[in-house]
Amino acid sequence: MLSLKNIRKRFGSRQVLDDVSLNVARGEVAVLLGASGVGKSTLLRVLACLEAPDSGAIELDGVQLDQERIRQGHLVGMVFQQFNLFPNMTVARNITLALQEVLGMSAADAVQSAKHLLEQYGLAGKETSYPRSLSGGQKQRLAIARAVAMKPKVICMDEPTSALDPLLTAHVARSIMKLAEDGYMVLLASHDTELLKRLNCTIYLMEAGKIVQQAPSQEFVAAPAQFPQLNAFVQGVADPDTL
Amino acid sequence: MINLALIARFYPTLLYGAWVSLQIAAFSCTIGLVLGTILGLASCARNKLLANAVLLYTTVVRGIPMLIQIMFVAYVLPETGINISLFWGAVLAIGLNSSAYVCHIIRSGILSVDQGQIEAARVLGMSNFQITRFIILPQAFQVVLPALGNEFVTLVKDSSLASTVGVVELTKTGSVVRSLTLDVVTVFAAVGAIYLAMTLALSAVITLIEKWMGRHAVS
Repeated sequence: MLSLKNIRKRFGSRQVLDDVSLNVARGEVAVLLGASGVGKSTLLRVLACLEAPDSGAIELDGVQLDQERIRQGHLVGMVFQQFNLFPNMTVARNITLALQEVLGMSAADAVQSAKHLLEQYGLAGKETSYPRSLSGGQKQRLAIARAVAMKPKVICMDEPTSALDPLLTAHVARSIMKLAEDGYMVLLASHDTELLKRLNCTIYLMEAGKIVQQAPSQEFVAAPAQFPQLNAFVQGVADPDTL
Repeated sequence: MINLALIARFYPTLLYGAWVSLQIAAFSCTIGLVLGTILGLASCARNKLLANAVLLYTTVVRGIPMLIQIMFVAYVLPETGINISLFWGAVLAIGLNSSAYVCHIIRSGILSVDQGQIEAARVLGMSNFQITRFIILPQAFQVVLPALGNEFVTLVKDSSLASTVGVVELTKTGSVVRSLTLDVVTVFAAVGAIYLAMTLALSAVITLIEKWMGRHAVS
């Protein structure tokens, strides 16, 4: 179980994260939903140790972790909005680089591991290609494979559908649910309500750095009126001042 | 006009001068590339003191003519008790001068690397050294290779400035041959042709490297 407790983060005079707390169980998908600039990506960046929180705690299975421990334990993997693949390296090398240089795996084992992951994510035969020759969906699957290769406990995904053709939303949803089935705690930031409809997840609606409402997606789909703020956002009638 | 017999007589001497010029260019280039890369990385450091110190160095070095710097090493350093041969003094002066230009070339390449890739590498657990080695520098060099190529071609030509402090390289050899034969046109046409051949050969090598790297180009 991943627990974020009272996370606060300020950039200058702007309180980007204001006392954010949430829990994600193993095999669970948590979606941070909200308009641009409400703090979704910042929360993921805090978890991925790219930003230091001003206060708050991160716990994994009841053990409080500082960012150094998260980094050293490779506990969190991240799939970025623009994928951030290494364009000067082949598809396979994008995966093997960290396996060899960070985990100290032998070249042969790293290549074997990469090959297995590429097969698993539908990229078999692309080992020697470069990222520029991949489609958007393939780039995302490579980014997921690269994150998964490090065997993290938590996978963060920032706006997983925003850089892709809307037709790929169903594929992305399947990839996300597969991660959950494989036992990862998945935390994703999105404002894509179409994606939300295809996921079995817990939704956290964020506004101005706070979580203002949370709901299991199945309950929300069954009775949206019970979750008025979430329903307003999904219906696209959220108060423009909060966007 | 051009006395081919004179060229035939002196070409081994001129080619030896060209060999010395190439050595000056090669050693200066090595100093320029290694030091320039280190300075380029330091100029992008979060440590403002370090970055500003590099900026000060490059401002001073780029603001003073290379000829003055060569003369400084050849004539001023011995006054302070530092004795260095004319050849290595010229190499040092040209190399240090080049490092200031290479620094800014490398810096522009480093800044062109997408910050997102650096963040991705950081999340994967890579150290700053590993990120620099595997992510930043390979892509930075790919971007700045044409500019670096120009710098190295310029270095071959700038090696002629070493002649002013008595290093017997191609230009100095040409001057000596001219004084022996008094045939200005033939001697300097030959010297010019040899410089042209060296710079064209270097340009061809750089073009080949660019083509090779282009096959693995960053999209």
